[in-house]
Amino acid sequence: MIELILAGALAFVLAVIVVVQNQQLSILRRQHHTDTSNTGPKVTQPTATELEAKLKAAYEAKITESVTTFGSDLQATSRRLSEQVSRLTTTVIEEELEAYQKTLEQVRKSATEAMGQIHQAVEHQRVELRQGMEAELAAEKKALADKFDTKLGDIVSSYISESLGSGVDLGAQMQFILTSLEAHKADIRKDLLDGV
Amino acid sequence: MAFELPPAVYSPQLVESVIYDVQYYLDWVRQNQIRAKVGAKPKAEPNHSDETVLVIEAWLAGKPPTLESIEALLEHLRQLKLPEVHITLAALPNRAQRETLVSWFRNNASPQLLVSFVADRNLGGGIVVRTPNHVYDYTWKQELVAGRDKLAGIIKRV
Repeated sequence: MIELILAGALAFVLAVIVVVQNQQLSILRRQHHTDTSNTGPKVTQPTATELEAKLKAAYEAKITESVTTFGSDLQATSRRLSEQVSRLTTTVIEEELEAYQKTLEQVRKSATEAMGQIHQAVEHQRVELRQGMEAELAAEKKALADKFDTKLGDIVSSYISESLGSGVDLGAQMQFILTSLEAHKADIRKDLLDGV
Repeated sequence: MAFELPPAVYSPQLVESVIYDVQYYLDWVRQNQIRAKVGAKPKAEPNHSDETVLVIEAWLAGKPPTLESIEALLEHLRQLKLPEVHITLAALPNRAQRETLVSWFRNNASPQLLVSFVADRNLGGGIVVRTPNHVYDYTWKQELVAGRDKLAGIIKRV
């Protein structure tokens, strides 16, 4: 794109130069014509033609030299510009890429840290949940066992009393009762005498 | 000789009943004395429980009854402070069972002892003895509760 612009500019400059030179040549011809027609020495036609040819050749050589020099400069400038643009472009892209890589690295690092934190939080939550559930389960189990233990006597005695109904035979129990009393006779006696 | 309650009067309720009867009898005697003075017709002698009769006989020890002696008996009964024991059984004992238990306590703990009986069929069997300072539980229920580890072991084995 830049080269295209530079070529256009070069063509424009050359065109301007050609126009300016033509203008100067016309002015010179008019002056020469005026000079020769008024006061200057008269030049023969062949001489004038020769001079004109020489002048034209010198003029064209000068233009060619200028075009060559200008073209060389323009090429060099264009090459430098291209190099500069290429270098700038490469640098910018490299910088951008580097920044992008840095940003990407930071994002990746942040994401990794966030994932690690989330993983840790989830693991912590899982452990807490498990411990809580285990504790609740153990407590529930213990409560049930305690309840069972506490109510065991009531359950069995209720079952016995329900099974026996109203047919409790104290006579059959009397030996057990007297044996139990005999076994704790001293304690009962002491307690009764102390209580009086 | 020190007065002793007859074995038939074994509970605080019976002692209260005897006190009531004696008081009623004294009131009857006093009223009849007043009636005799004013020439009114005497009231019929009130009925006494067997226990009251036994207590009065034991108190008089063969002597003829006087108003003073009966008043002294009433005063004695009111001031009587005897050790009490409360017994809970799976059912209320019959007369023979009651006498067996009362005689055991009187022979082994204290001769002058009052015993009250309560029934609780939830005990299943055995006896609960409540003294002033302690409760002795020799019931089947207590035995089962004390042996719950055995029962739990049996249940686990089954």
